[in-house]
Amino acid sequence: MSERLWGILVDSFPKILVPGLTMTLPLTAIAFAFAMVLAIFMALVQFANVPVLKQLSRFHIWVFRGTPLLLQLMLIFYGLPNLGILIEPFPAAVLVFSLNEGAYCAEIVRAALEAVPSGQLEAGYCVGMSYLQTMRRIVLPQAMRTAFPSLANSLIAMMKDTSLASTITVTEMLMASQRIIARTYEPLALYMEAGVIYLLFSTVLTKLQQIGEKKLGAYTAKEG
Amino acid sequence: MVEVKSIQKSFGGTEVLKGVDLKVEQGDVVAILGPSGSGKTTLLRCMNFLERAQSGQLIFDGRTYDLHKITKKEIAQIRRKTAFVFQNYNLFLNKTALQNVTEGLTIARKMDKAKAEEIARGALEKVGLSDRCDYYPSQLSGGQQQRVAIARALAVDPEIIYFDEPTSALDPELTGEVLTVMRKLAEEGMTMLVVTHEMGFARNVSSKVVFMEDGVVVESAPSKEFFENPRSERTREFIRLIQQE
Repeated sequence: MSERLWGILVDSFPKILVPGLTMTLPLTAIAFAFAMVLAIFMALVQFANVPVLKQLSRFHIWVFRGTPLLLQLMLIFYGLPNLGILIEPFPAAVLVFSLNEGAYCAEIVRAALEAVPSGQLEAGYCVGMSYLQTMRRIVLPQAMRTAFPSLANSLIAMMKDTSLASTITVTEMLMASQRIIARTYEPLALYMEAGVIYLLFSTVLTKLQQIGEKKLGAYTAKEG
Repeated sequence: MVEVKSIQKSFGGTEVLKGVDLKVEQGDVVAILGPSGSGKTTLLRCMNFLERAQSGQLIFDGRTYDLHKITKKEIAQIRRKTAFVFQNYNLFLNKTALQNVTEGLTIARKMDKAKAEEIARGALEKVGLSDRCDYYPSQLSGGQQQRVAIARALAVDPEIIYFDEPTSALDPELTGEVLTVMRKLAEEGMTMLVVTHEMGFARNVSSKVVFMEDGVVVESAPSKEFFENPRSERTREFIRLIQQE
């Protein structure tokens, strides 16, 4: 490797990593937090068969799973101004990723809720607990344990998908690398460098997933 | 104490309970016997509103309720005075044995934690599991799980405990340990309504036997009378069959 290229790589490493830490990760964390709230809400209203809210949830999931994420970003950022609605790039990205991720996670949580044996709810009733008490203390915690690996998987996928936010001018890692490429004409090396940093982030998240699963796994430790 | 009158329940087009009457007095241990599909479990589940009956009355603590029209609030009030033990235990899988017992006290009855734990430890000791307080259901044997379930039922100080085939999922040895606990409760005067296939329990522990078939009560009699001097032909045949086993 030439000294010049090595110099570029060393020089650009913090210039890609810092947007990763200040944009990619915050975008991922904030959007995922909103997505989880939305997902749990949409899963619960479907599970409990709440009229109207259930249909709204199904509609939301239908739309956001049925259209490309890239198109959703474009529509919100470049499309809404036609209606006079202007949203800054970062909030626009948070909005789209929350709604999109929420749709996918809602399905994961709903499936997990349905996997909790119905006897758990019945047992709750029989010790005198209400539906809401039993859902909150017994059914939902068990469902979240079941859903955890899939949700973590979805989180890692979303972290990588935040690279699409570069198309709506969010200066995250991909955009940062592209700016350096425009200056240096070294796409191979710099895309690889960005890839390595993404890999680093995913590895940390995977590790966190393992720790989380272990911690949550206490009550299923000796199953069978 | 608890009585149901002409209770009817259908699933789809199939009538499972065709007007069943049943009465349990305080201190009674009533065993409900009968072949599979006779409606025993459905009867028990209707009595605790896990299934909603199409019609019939429930008399509980002197008050009469229409089983079809009963409100959520009334159901909650009645459930607070009853307990239910399931065939497959249904322990809260994300809670330890102790938490399984305290849950109904602290959450449903707003009791303070220290008092609830004291009661829970007492209940677990009664079923011989004081050394398993911090175990999760997945770490316990079937017999132990069912005994935790009985402790959970006892802790809420119910007026009656419903048992739905409490030993059907257990091997003979584990069945023995659960039946021992149930016998102890019976001796202490606990009111119990037990759907069971355990003839030994029906004969020796229960005070009354109700024999069901095809959604109706065929015979209802004190245990001794039921086994020694059955009135109906169908009951005689049933007893003859089980004695051949």
